[in-house]
Amino acid sequence: MNLKRIFKRSETFVLLIIIAFSVFVTIKNPAFLTLDNLFDLLRSSSGTAILGIGIFLVLISGGVDVSSTTIAIVTQYVSITLMIRSGIDSMWFLFGLSAFIGIVLGAINAFFVSLLKVPTLIVTLGTSSLYHGIMLEFFGTRSVNIGSLPESVKSFGKINILTLTRADGSTYGLSIFFVILIALLIITYVILKYTVIGRSVYAIGGNLEAAKRAGFNTRKTHFFVYTYAGLLAGIMGVIHLSLIRYSNPNYIVGTELGVIAAVVLGGARISGGTGTLTGTMLGIILITILEKNLIMMGLSTYWQQLFIGVVLILGVSITYLQAKFQQSGKTIIATEEE
Amino acid sequence: MKNKLPRLLQFKFKEPKNKFLFIIMMGTILIMFALLPEVFLSSTNLKSMASQFPEFGFLALAMMLAMITGGIDLSVVATANFTGVIAALILTKGPAAGMNPMLSIVLAIAATIVAALPVGLINGFLIAYIGVPPILATLGTQGLFLGIATVITKGLSVANFPKSFLYIGNGSIFGIPIVFILFIIGTIFVWLLLGKTEQGFNMYMLGTNPIVSRYSGVDNAKIIMQTYITTALLAAVSSIIMISRANSMRPGYGSSYLLQAILVVVLGGADPDGGFGNIPGLLMAIVMLQVTQSGFNILAFSPFVRKFIWGFALLLVMTINYIAQQYGNYKRVKKMRQSTASEAT
Repeated sequence: MNLKRIFKRSETFVLLIIIAFSVFVTIKNPAFLTLDNLFDLLRSSSGTAILGIGIFLVLISGGVDVSSTTIAIVTQYVSITLMIRSGIDSMWFLFGLSAFIGIVLGAINAFFVSLLKVPTLIVTLGTSSLYHGIMLEFFGTRSVNIGSLPESVKSFGKINILTLTRADGSTYGLSIFFVILIALLIITYVILKYTVIGRSVYAIGGNLEAAKRAGFNTRKTHFFVYTYAGLLAGIMGVIHLSLIRYSNPNYIVGTELGVIAAVVLGGARISGGTGTLTGTMLGIILITILEKNLIMMGLSTYWQQLFIGVVLILGVSITYLQAKFQQSGKTIIATEEE
Repeated sequence: MKNKLPRLLQFKFKEPKNKFLFIIMMGTILIMFALLPEVFLSSTNLKSMASQFPEFGFLALAMMLAMITGGIDLSVVATANFTGVIAALILTKGPAAGMNPMLSIVLAIAATIVAALPVGLINGFLIAYIGVPPILATLGTQGLFLGIATVITKGLSVANFPKSFLYIGNGSIFGIPIVFILFIIGTIFVWLLLGKTEQGFNMYMLGTNPIVSRYSGVDNAKIIMQTYITTALLAAVSSIIMISRANSMRPGYGSSYLLQAILVVVLGGADPDGGFGNIPGLLMAIVMLQVTQSGFNILAFSPFVRKFIWGFALLLVMTINYIAQQYGNYKRVKKMRQSTASEAT
C-alpha cells in the first residue's frame, strides 16, 4: 500500500489525532503516558469497546442500533438480580445468563428488523423503550450495591493477567477485561473476514437488494448481526458490573450516542457497507482519551454531551464527504480492509 | 350495503388508510368512555387533554415533514431544549435586570425563532450538501444542541418567568386553551404548506423518489434545507409552549417525546421511506395518543409501564402496517391473475 493511500484512510487521521492529543496531554500532565494510566484506561474502556464492536457490526450491515446500551443494562441488572436471588455464586453463571438474555433481546431486534421494512433506528428505539420499561416495571428500580454483590463478581473485576509494582509498593496491572476484549476482537475479525456470514454482513450493508439477488440469505444475516450485538452487549453488561461493582438500572442507557460517534469516527458508514475493526477501536480510543481529559482541557463535565455531538457530526461529515468525492471519481480512497 | 351505514361512515377518506385509523380512533375513545365515563368526558379532562398535547403535537408535525421527504429529524426535542433554554434565560434574566416583562416576552419568542434557524441550517446542510443520512446527521445535532443547552444552564433548570408569559401556556380564550388554538394554527400552516404550495408538492416527490425529483428540475438540496428549517421552527414553537406550561426549562425535558412523535407520525400513515404522510391521519393519531395518555393518567399507570407500552405500540403499528401492505399486494396480485386468466379464456 503506498503512502498516498494510507493518508486517505480515516483510520490514519484518527490515529494522527490520537498521537497529537496524547503528546499535548503528556506535556501538560506527564502522568498520562505511564503504563499505570494506560492499564487503567484499558480497564475502564474495555466494556465500551466491546459494545462498540456490536454497534460497528450493525452499522456496516446498514443499520443503526440505539438499543445496545439498553440491552447491556437490562442483561446486567436482570442477571445480577437473578444471581443474587438464586444464590449461585459463579461468574460463569452470570456470564452465561447475561449472554443468553442479550442473545434473546438481540433476536427480538433481528425479528423486527428483518420483518419490517423500516429504518432500524426506529425499530431499536422502540425495542429499547420496550426492554427498559419491562425491566424497570418487573425487576425493580433499586440499585444493587457492593454489599449485596456476590463475592465472585467483586473478585473478577480485580483479576489482573499482568501485575506490576509502583514505586510506593502498591500494585497495578493489566485487567482481564482487556483479554476478553482482545479475544472478542479476534473472533469478530475472523468471522467478518473469513466466513460467508461475515462477508454477507458487508454485502447487505452495501446493497440489501443486490445481496439478496446474489443469493445471500439476508434474514439469516440480520439475525446473526443483531444476536451477536446482543451477545456483546450482554458481556459488556457483566464487565461494567464487575468494573464499578454497583448496578443501577438507569446506568449505561444514554451513552449510545458516544459509542456510535466513536464507531462512525473510525470510518464505518451505514450506506456503504464499509469500515474496519481497527478504525472502530481507534475511534473508541480517541473518544475515551478525549472524554477522560476534558477537564484537563479546561472544560467541565457539562461539555461532554456537546463534545460528543460535535465529534459525531465531524465524523460523519468526513466519512460522507470522502464517499462523495469517491463517487465523483476525484480521489480514490481505500476504505476497505481488503 | 353501503346505504345501510350511518352517514358519518360513508364519508370518503382521501387516504384509504385513514378509514381504518378513524375506526381505531373512535374505538379508543369509546373504550375510554366506557371504562371511565364520568371522569373522561368531564370538561376539566377535555380541557387538560387539549392543553397537554400541543407541545408534543408541534414536534410530531415537524417529524412528519422530515419523514415525508424520506428523512427523519431526531433532533426535534434537543432543538426545543436549546431554543427553550435561550428563551427561559431571557425571561428570567431580563426582568431581573429591570427589563419590561412584555419586552422580555417578545424578545424571548423572537430569540427562539432566531435560534432555530442555525439548527435547521446545520441539519439541512449536513443532509443536503454533505450527503450524511438524515438519521446520522440529526443524531449528531441532537447531541450537539442538547449539549449546548446543558452547557448554557450547567445542567440546572431555569424557572420563574413573568406572569403574563405563563398565560400562553395556561390561559384560555372562550374556554379554549390558547395552546390548542396555536396548535390549530400550526396545523393549518403545515396543511397549506403540504397541500397548496410547490414546496409541499416537491417534498412529497423528493420523498417518493429523489432521482426522479432531481431529473424533473427540482433543486433537491433547497427542498431539504427548507424542510429542516421548518422542522426547527416548529420545534421552537413547541419549546415556547413547553416552558410556558411548565414555568421552567431544564435540558433533557421532554426526551420521551421523541419516541412518541415517531410513533404518532408512523401511526398517522407516514412512511419512514418517504413520500407519504398527511395531516388528517396525523391528527387522528395524536388524538388517539392523547386519549390513551389521559387514560393512563386516570388509571395511574407507572412511567415504566408507559415506556414499555409506547415502545410496544410503535413496533405493533409498524407490524400492522407491514401486514396491511403485504395483504394489499396479495390482493392486487390475485386481481391481476384473475384478469389475465379471464383474458386467456
